[in-house]
Amino acid sequence: MSKNNTIIEIKGLNHWYGNFHVLKEINLETRRSSCVVICGPSGSGKSTLLRCINGLEVFKEGDVIINGKSVSQCFHNHKELYKLRSKFGMVFQHFELYPHMRVLDNITLAPRRVLCLSKNEAEKSAMALLEKVGILEQAYKYPANLSGGQQQRVAIARALAMNPDILLFDEPTSALDPEMIRDVLKVMADLAKEGMTMLVVTHEMGFANAVADEIVFMEEGNIIEHDDAVTFFKCPKSNRAVEFVDRILVHI
Amino acid sequence: MLNYTFDWSVIWRHPYGGWLLEGILITIQLSILAWGIALFLGVIIASLRNLPQKWVKAVAAAYVETFRNIPLLVQLFFWYFAAPELLPYSARQWLYQNIEPTTLSYYTAIISLSLFTSSRIAEHARSGFSSIPKGQYLAAFSTGLNTLQVYRYVIIPYTIRVFIPPLTTEFVTIFKNSALAMTLGVTETTFMSQRIDSYTFHGLEATIGAMVIYLLISLSVSGLMGFVERFLYIPGLIRKR
Ligand SMILES: Nc1ncnc2c1ncn2[C@@H]1O[C@H](COP(=O)(O)OP(=O)(O)O)[C@@H](O)[C@H]1O
Ligand SMILES: [Mg+2]
Repeated sequence: MSKNNTIIEIKGLNHWYGNFHVLKEINLETRRSSCVVICGPSGSGKSTLLRCINGLEVFKEGDVIINGKSVSQCFHNHKELYKLRSKFGMVFQHFELYPHMRVLDNITLAPRRVLCLSKNEAEKSAMALLEKVGILEQAYKYPANLSGGQQQRVAIARALAMNPDILLFDEPTSALDPEMIRDVLKVMADLAKEGMTMLVVTHEMGFANAVADEIVFMEEGNIIEHDDAVTFFKCPKSNRAVEFVDRILVHI
Repeated sequence: MLNYTFDWSVIWRHPYGGWLLEGILITIQLSILAWGIALFLGVIIASLRNLPQKWVKAVAAAYVETFRNIPLLVQLFFWYFAAPELLPYSARQWLYQNIEPTTLSYYTAIISLSLFTSSRIAEHARSGFSSIPKGQYLAAFSTGLNTLQVYRYVIIPYTIRVFIPPLTTEFVTIFKNSALAMTLGVTETTFMSQRIDSYTFHGLEATIGAMVIYLLISLSVSGLMGFVERFLYIPGLIRKR
């Protein structure tokens, strides 16, 4: 039964950049519809881990199984790799909207070119997504004319437009002004409530406490601690995690 | 200078007006052809510098540094006077017997201008490519687009916008640089103005005429490209002039 409920299974994942061992023997299982927060000091390999999971990074050792399908098997077959990536939505620290496209075109690009939806269909569902993230009125603007919080919500809509099984967030609020962080976190919390499977790299411990089901703490390419959220905050096992959370909470 | 009487009609009177007109046409032809070739070569060289293979990078870098750092006039002389000497005797004979001297100097000018300008365009293209944040590739690939689509819909349209302003500058520069082709006897605008001088002794008018022509061409090109830039304008990418 537990096997059936597993959507991501990371098995003995290792990755190197040159001689630098960036991910060390990572093992992690994620249940469908759960929200997992990944935290840890900068440089600990969090972003790299996300990129390995959706096949943006061709990792060197081990495997990632998504819905029973091996990611490393896709490395030899570009078509399969593109298909695998399209099952994920990814949201970045710096939004990475395409600056030369209007908001609507940013969202419809992949549905039209990858899923081959008609312009009409794609735009209709894009408008629905924009409404969902609360910025319908920005549809015909260019990204540069939007605030950071609005841009990040467009990025979330763009990720959702592909109807993904899993959403990956890489520090989605780190580049935002405090008053905008709330709007973005609200959208993310709603998605979690709807049952979206989410992996969220973030230092927003408030969000982690309120929304996350599980917390993963990473350091120097290792997973130091992996708990359900309640345990992690009430009685973390590792001193490093305690120190880290304290530092962050004091900082907030 | 005291008793100099101006005769501005040397600019349009038969046959001088015709010479000047022919000069303008050759200037324009030369510039557009050389610019087209330079754009093509420049973008290829810049792409080669983006490849992972070290030796390819090194060759492309050497190309850029060579053509960018030697004065254009010296390059013109090299291709016209020196390069043919490096050919085997029979090839040289064939060249001089089968190709008209005027044609030869015309094409030599085009080659020199193209190579010189391509090295500069390659530099602009390279900085255009490298100005694209890595996250743009990640974002595009993460949605499942294939490599071709990522370049076609995201990377290239982005690059073009970054790339157009310096390209305009190079286009204007190549028009001005094309005047050096007169040293090889190419009958472009400057050459023709000097020729009018030697026939009429009214070099003052002829030269001023040439100056006005260059000024007008340069300003029109800038104006036209300004229009293109406004057309491609995107907030946050190209500054509206
Ligand atoms: N493309 C890359 N090439 C080489 N080193 C990289 C690359 N990406 C990340 N790194 C290095 O790998 C380590 C982990 O990076 P990253 O996964 O971005 O950490 P985090 O997201 O936890 O801050 C860092 O030391 C970083 O410098
Ligand atoms: Mg990171």
